[in-house]
Amino acid sequence: MSYLLSGLNIKNISEYNSSDAYNKYDVIDFQLHSQKSAYPNYTGFGETGLLFWFNNEYLNSFNLDLDNYITGWLNKETSDISSDGMYANLLQLSEDKSLRPFVYFDDNYIELFGDQFLSGSGFDCIERTTFVCFDASTSPDTNPEQNIFRFDREDGWAESKFSTGPSGFLKVKGSNTQGQAKIMVDEQEFDASSPIYNALNIITLVQTSGATSGPSITVRQNGDQLGTYEHYYSGWTSGFLKLGDTNNPNGVKYYDIFSFSGVLNESEIKSYEKYLYESYFDGNDFYFAKEDAPTGFSNSPLSYNGNDYWTQDIDDLFKLSYGSSVNFSAKLSRSDFGDGYQSNVSRNINSLNSVFDLKYDGLTDVQAKCLITFFETTPEAGIKNETEGFAGVNIDLFQPYKKDAELYFLDINHSTPYNDINTISIKAESLYDSNLDYKGMSIKLDEKNIRTYSDSLAGFEYDDVVYFESVLYSERGYYYYTGQKTQTSVSEENSPVGAQSHFTKEFYFKSDIDYDITNQINLVTIDYEGSTKQYLKDGINYNDLEFNLSFSSRSNKETRALLKFLDDKAGFKIFRYSLPQPYNKEIDVYCPEWDHTYNFHDNNDIQVKFVQFRAKSSKLTNFDTQIDFVSI
Amino acid sequence: MSKFLNYRGVDFQLENEDFYATNVSLSAQASVDPVILSDGSLLNYAPSSAVVGSLSCDFYLTAALPSYLNITGTHDTPIKAKFANVEIAEVYPKNISFNVEPFQPVLISAEFDWYGDVKVENFEEQGINQVKQKQVPNYIAHSYKSYLSSRNIFNSDYSGPSGPTGPSGPQGSIVSFSYRSSCDRPTFFNVDEVVPFRVGKLNKQCEVDLSANNLGKLISVNGKNASSVIYLKDFYGTSLSSFSIDGVLSNQNYNVSEGQYLLTEASIRQTITETKTLI
Repeated sequence: MSYLLSGLNIKNISEYNSSDAYNKYDVIDFQLHSQKSAYPNYTGFGETGLLFWFNNEYLNSFNLDLDNYITGWLNKETSDISSDGMYANLLQLSEDKSLRPFVYFDDNYIELFGDQFLSGSGFDCIERTTFVCFDASTSPDTNPEQNIFRFDREDGWAESKFSTGPSGFLKVKGSNTQGQAKIMVDEQEFDASSPIYNALNIITLVQTSGATSGPSITVRQNGDQLGTYEHYYSGWTSGFLKLGDTNNPNGVKYYDIFSFSGVLNESEIKSYEKYLYESYFDGNDFYFAKEDAPTGFSNSPLSYNGNDYWTQDIDDLFKLSYGSSVNFSAKLSRSDFGDGYQSNVSRNINSLNSVFDLKYDGLTDVQAKCLITFFETTPEAGIKNETEGFAGVNIDLFQPYKKDAELYFLDINHSTPYNDINTISIKAESLYDSNLDYKGMSIKLDEKNIRTYSDSLAGFEYDDVVYFESVLYSERGYYYYTGQKTQTSVSEENSPVGAQSHFTKEFYFKSDIDYDITNQINLVTIDYEGSTKQYLKDGINYNDLEFNLSFSSRSNKETRALLKFLDDKAGFKIFRYSLPQPYNKEIDVYCPEWDHTYNFHDNNDIQVKFVQFRAKSSKLTNFDTQIDFVSI
Repeated sequence: MSKFLNYRGVDFQLENEDFYATNVSLSAQASVDPVILSDGSLLNYAPSSAVVGSLSCDFYLTAALPSYLNITGTHDTPIKAKFANVEIAEVYPKNISFNVEPFQPVLISAEFDWYGDVKVENFEEQGINQVKQKQVPNYIAHSYKSYLSSRNIFNSDYSGPSGPTGPSGPQGSIVSFSYRSSCDRPTFFNVDEVVPFRVGKLNKQCEVDLSANNLGKLISVNGKNASSVIYLKDFYGTSLSSFSIDGVLSNQNYNVSEGQYLLTEASIRQTITETKTLI
């Protein structure tokens, strides 16, 4: 049992076995093969026959020029290498630097673009088993053929003891869809069983001389045997190997390539394929059945067919239930200046912390097992990049929040009121909502529910939200429609900045009739021992309010508008608020915290905390600079 | 509906089977609460739950009770109902009951919940020919031959012609009895939907009420274990359905009134459980 499985609190989850059928909501640990992995230089199988092995594990695997461009990729199988460092290595000796690939030591691959290549000789073999792990990007050509590598005689074209052709090619071709994606050996096309672009691929070529049945090459993709090609070109038996020259300006990433002389048995092949899988397929190995999955390796998670049965997307498995909620709180550095004056500084651009309580109700035991396993395995997601931790869970949030959220699952609560009925609540945090994004943090300008205003924009209802673009900062921003419902566009006079505008930028929402405001006078206390306590007023603004308001059972539309207003204020921006009866005074407030619960369709509860703010700064609190990111 | 619909022309079906119902009742309930704002104005009436439909009927049992009306079974899938030519795609049975009293036919009462849109405005009568061609049932459950197996009802010894003896004491003659099986049907919704994706089953129970001249000794603090089977038969003795119960008798009442016999009434209640299957 892998550490992944033993680390779970759920029993009866096993590694994927292609001879088993699976039911919807089953969970598997996909490890490509059940065999143990073996390094190419592992000698436990006996004489390995390792012919060459190239990867990017060590810095000393490369000869570099002064600019870190590769002039040589050194064979890790050193027994057959001559002292001059030329033989059985892959070299790029051209004076044309553009043909040399660059090496990034943070990466575990070498990327070859266009006509860049590395080549070498000394790899002769009549029979061989070759493994290559690569990631090809899509080519701008409509029906491209991308070279992965080729074997040949050093002078380019060989006499053949086989029927036709000189060079032995491995290529990929076609689009990335099933039936169109091809793995090519020479001119023979094989239907790829899993995507060939923008995905890691392990291709295994088993080349036999065919003393009895004729020469052939058996092609495997990610452990799935695609077919056998007979009477391959003679180049396959020669010793010149050329990597790259891919024809693809977008590049092909080479992670690992090695070859053995002779034909390995099935078990050995699977062990070496598993080495590649474990080394480079960095991600969550747990897959969840979204449909009943039949037997067969072609239905495994990596395959095209597997997409019909397996998923790592929680939205393919479960839908959120009513009762889901969220808490927002701003991370502010507050400074009190005396006399009730203060300043709030947003700590960073992701200053608004949102913690969602995702509720999944009415689950069967099988569904609950699946969801709990999903929760427990979320840290297995691949690393986002060198400076961040693992990736969060991509999820469609409930209205009015965005559909492409990335959340980190933190804790889970599971309750079961009866047999086969389960309720699961998952607390999850969103980390990357930038308050520099004018489209919003959690509630986005999506041009569907929230639209960009234009003179021709038609159809408005009370509580509609629009974004008004303007060169003037004072005019730019989100506006809330408070006019009568109309199917048409509004006149210029009634537009967001019109003289008789039907829109507002102010906080126009009315709280519930039952409210509770506590006002505590700010006092300075002097309490001498043995004497009576003395109160002194604390500066000139000692009646600062800090209060909570409720907006209960609100429609989805009003909820969107209200939450968009708060989202736009990002937890620290100041706005005007009219206190209810009997205060009736308009004051400056900011809203550092709020909660939202989606009770039912058109029934939302929102609680907000307003803090009175004295002496609003005349300086703008908005980041008003456009930054263009360009690739270099 | 352009006219008043006559009982004779209104058909009632469950899962495409005709049911000979004496009464069918259909209702819908919306849960809304007023939303009052801080300025005292009324914002609207907000829904707090889905529209819950209720369907109840009393029908004659003409054959074995269909399996989809097994309230205490494990399946919680909906069944299809048709009333006055309008289909209700998903109805969820939540209880059935019947009384067996001397000289009376046995009417089964059933209640269902339903959700979603039902085209009640399209109710219509059957055509005359359809009504004429309707089969008349030959057999209906009747108390004449139906009975509750009173032998060994309290797991007491049954020895000899003097009737049951043992810890529960002697057991008398049963005058009438009734049966009810029920469960709660909690609903589960996905967000943005007003029709549940699942209607579960909770608190499954069976209950038999007895009326007899004697039901043995008084119950103890643990109640009194009781098990029995009710056999429903038609007037000619053809067996239609049976209902078993294995529970506890938890109350006994003794009543007598002017012109009547002293009768004891009791309830046997069984909580239906399911042993979890290891997954």
